[in-house]
Amino acid sequence: MKNIFLKLSMNKKLALLAFVLGLIAVFAGNPYRGNSVTMDTKELALIVDKTVDHVSAEELADWIIQGKSDFKLLDLRTEKEFNEYHISSAELVPLAELNEYPLLRNEKIVLYSEGGIHSAQAWMLLRAKGYKAVYMLFGGLEEWTDKILFPRIAQNATPGQTAAFEKIKEVSKFFGGSPQVGGTAEEVSAKKPMPKLEMPGGTSAPTAGKKKKKEGC
Amino acid sequence: MSSTSTEIQHVPKPYWNPYLSGIGLGLVLLLSYVIMGRGLGASGAFSTLVATGVSTIAPEHAKSNEFYSEYLADTTKSPLKDWLVFEVLGVLVGGFISGALAGRIKKTVEKGPRISVSGRLFFAFIGGTMMGIGAKLARGCTSGQALTGGAVLNVGSWAFMLAVFGGAYMIAYFFRRQWK
Amino acid sequence: MNAPFFKYGLFGDDVSLVVAFIIGIGFGFFLERGGFGNGRKLAAQFYFNDLTVFKVMFTAIITAMIGIYYLSVIGWMDLSLVYLNPTYIVPQTIGGLLLGFGFVIGGYCPGTSCVSAVTGKIDGMVYLLGIVVGIFIFGEIFPLVSNFYNSTPMGQITLSQLFNIPYGILVFAVVLMAIGGFAAAEWAEKKLGNKIVEP
Repeated sequence: MKNIFLKLSMNKKLALLAFVLGLIAVFAGNPYRGNSVTMDTKELALIVDKTVDHVSAEELADWIIQGKSDFKLLDLRTEKEFNEYHISSAELVPLAELNEYPLLRNEKIVLYSEGGIHSAQAWMLLRAKGYKAVYMLFGGLEEWTDKILFPRIAQNATPGQTAAFEKIKEVSKFFGGSPQVGGTAEEVSAKKPMPKLEMPGGTSAPTAGKKKKKEGC
Repeated sequence: MSSTSTEIQHVPKPYWNPYLSGIGLGLVLLLSYVIMGRGLGASGAFSTLVATGVSTIAPEHAKSNEFYSEYLADTTKSPLKDWLVFEVLGVLVGGFISGALAGRIKKTVEKGPRISVSGRLFFAFIGGTMMGIGAKLARGCTSGQALTGGAVLNVGSWAFMLAVFGGAYMIAYFFRRQWK
Repeated sequence: MNAPFFKYGLFGDDVSLVVAFIIGIGFGFFLERGGFGNGRKLAAQFYFNDLTVFKVMFTAIITAMIGIYYLSVIGWMDLSLVYLNPTYIVPQTIGGLLLGFGFVIGGYCPGTSCVSAVTGKIDGMVYLLGIVVGIFIFGEIFPLVSNFYNSTPMGQITLSQLFNIPYGILVFAVVLMAIGGFAAAEWAEKKLGNKIVEP
């Protein structure tokens, strides 16, 4: 057997190799990955522990103001809620559609929902699929509303708090919010109308000349 | 056989075993897929070149033309900073290296014995023009569509490949004087 | 291993241009090795004298195809991230016919004409010029042909999806077809002779 193989010319040896590889392919299965994933649970637990899995509302506001375009902001709520108000440059992706949503593997993804539950679930899903740079907006839209849109400062604030408040006032105005000064507990917790959607940052995803790269020939 | 020649090297070496060249080519293609997630190409680089040229001479015309603008759209950087353009530059270098190593760099015109040099060059030009139009209609040429798409079982690529071989065999008879 | 590396963000656009250049060198190198810088050798394919074009092309296709298939099956490569040229069946077929004509009349295709031009062949250089003119003509008449150009789209579709045959079986089928073709090519060359072995 071995002698026959050795006596074959180079071309015939190559042909035999190709034939064998082709034959195995019949039984080797589907080259596409499908929906099964493997997760490194220890790694996930560590990430959660180190709290590198989220961004704060202030950080996100900063990125948007600076006009950064290296991240994708995903809104996980319903269409109605999205149309009422959404953070500028966010894209609407209901949790059910997240699996099929086209996402590049080399860009940052920031998720937010009303509070934190849906964004946490979405975070888990994307991390399981192997996306590395996924973050949740800490506190969700509630926190965003509270800290960025309607930041409050008490009547008897310290100088340090006042200075911080001045800074956040500018950020808040950028997003069409209205900073609150003082006020009683009831006034503060009354539901305020959300700012209109015509934001200086724009409601569509930042494009700035960045066109999708051609990959044809 | 061939017309005037200016030899740079000594006796040219014979060509490689085609199957080995094919495996080499296939591995390069595979590498491209593994590293970049895309295959090879050639005609696209020329399209970018033409579009850039037109845009330099007549920018408004280029922008309003749907075909050219597709190759110019990215305003954040020069359109020549394109993957295929760099790849084709590499092809020129690689072809030269292989030719130089094998003593096959020679100023010559490849043609059959029954046609003149000017006749051959005329047909080369016509053929190139047809190829340019055909490649754009098909969104690729033999490198980009046939090789690259063929390896991933792309339907359009296989149909294209059959059409290329079919078309070539169809008219080969009428141009035999050029080659034999 | 996470392949394709670029799609996983392992490096950026600028590095990808360097990658393009290096891959191009490999591409051009092997094209010239096989004699594809020689228009006579390329055209000889279509007179059954020298079937190198068929042998090299299909060896390359099955090499890459087998490699991609197995890397995907063992999970090292994510096939869904690999680019697939969208299919427009009619213009691509017509374009292919036109390309076939250009191949025999001119003696080259875009990639091989680069290799030919750079090794001194004047007909290769003239051919390159022809390609540029052809693309220019296409660009200028584009508004007239754009409807045809965009007709019969089928999206990004593989043979496996079209015929509903498992990918692996198609891999085997293509390998068989290639090997059969090579055997036929060897036989034809022996019969009709006249291979172009060196420039």
